[in-house]
Amino acid sequence: MAMDRGLLAVSSASLAAEGGNSSSVLTDADIMLRVKAGDESAFSYLVQKYRRAMVHFMYRMAHSPAVAEDLAQEVFLRVYRSRENYEPTAKFTTWLYRIATNLAVNHIRDTRHERQGNMASLDEPDPETGRSLDVADVKPTTEEVIIQRERLAAIRGKVESLPERQKLAVLMHKYQQMDYKQIAEVLKLSESATKSLLFRAYESLREQLKEFV
Amino acid sequence: MKSNFNCDDIRELMPELAAGSGDPASEVKGSEIKGSEIKDSRIKAHLQSCATCSAELESFRRTLALLDEWKAPEPSPYFDVRMQAKLREEIAATKRPAGWLHWLRKPVFAVSLTVAVVAGVTLVETGHAPLSGPVAVEPGTAVGDLQALDKNHDLYSDFDVLDDLQVQSNVVANP
Ligand SMILES: [Zn+2]
Repeated sequence: MAMDRGLLAVSSASLAAEGGNSSSVLTDADIMLRVKAGDESAFSYLVQKYRRAMVHFMYRMAHSPAVAEDLAQEVFLRVYRSRENYEPTAKFTTWLYRIATNLAVNHIRDTRHERQGNMASLDEPDPETGRSLDVADVKPTTEEVIIQRERLAAIRGKVESLPERQKLAVLMHKYQQMDYKQIAEVLKLSESATKSLLFRAYESLREQLKEFV
Repeated sequence: MKSNFNCDDIRELMPELAAGSGDPASEVKGSEIKGSEIKDSRIKAHLQSCATCSAELESFRRTLALLDEWKAPEPSPYFDVRMQAKLREEIAATKRPAGWLHWLRKPVFAVSLTVAVVAGVTLVETGHAPLSGPVAVEPGTAVGDLQALDKNHDLYSDFDVLDDLQVQSNVVANP
């Protein structure tokens, strides 16, 4: 956990020291420019800040906790690899989500065959932890468990089967708390196109999940 | 901006209204979530008077709440260790001598390396101490003269290559 403590401590210390009172206004883009200048602790800082968001995003794209972690780490490696070409023209998160989106979409295309065979087992326990991560640990009755699994399988299945851009927009809007403007930037769409993309996505989810609400 | 909203105006705003992001009618701003309260009085007025839209909004709200049930796992305790290992690997890969070997794949560098080797061999062979060189041919013999000619030809043609390389040296990053 050197990244957690050592490097991160160095990072926040040096960020604070140089920024003085204005250290709180350092943007992610500023920190990324430090990564570009060779500051490895600045990179650790960004990993710590966004690892949770990346794992969550990738999990809902790939449906596997282990694959989600691998993909999230690959996102950060790509950030690191392209540090020298980084230009703060867009928000750091826009850049981050573009990398993540490309990676996830390619992963899904590459593994489409395996996934089609696995669709039925979407809600099976995770092989690594041996339990289903989605079912709350409150000792529900067998019947409740079955119903809950059905609901979850439906949610995952319906989101999964949305057209690619609609799915990405829903994941960013609903689960990553991003606003329309940011989603529009990541997907390279206008704001109004994003608005109607999201409307169509939620409208079909509403229709297809009717029986569960 | 119209003074009154009709059903069509409100339809596309449903996801935002249901997500509770404040005042969608006056453009979406920032990421600030202002709670589920609808601030725009025109939207409010329409919803109060239109059963269809208010029912639809309620339905969107339920759908969004249903989606909340899909939780994602937290990063595992090994995330940082693995990340750190991958990063070290990445850094090592760009620093270790293998990085040099990869230059051999670049034709220009391979050529210049060949030039260096040829030049080195030529120097050794024309030196006074032939040592245990595999080609111990006496100068002055026919075979020796022909070989020397070959070498000189190679050497001079290589100098042309060197000139070319010097011109290009700005383009090629120095390893
Ligand atoms: Zn209406």
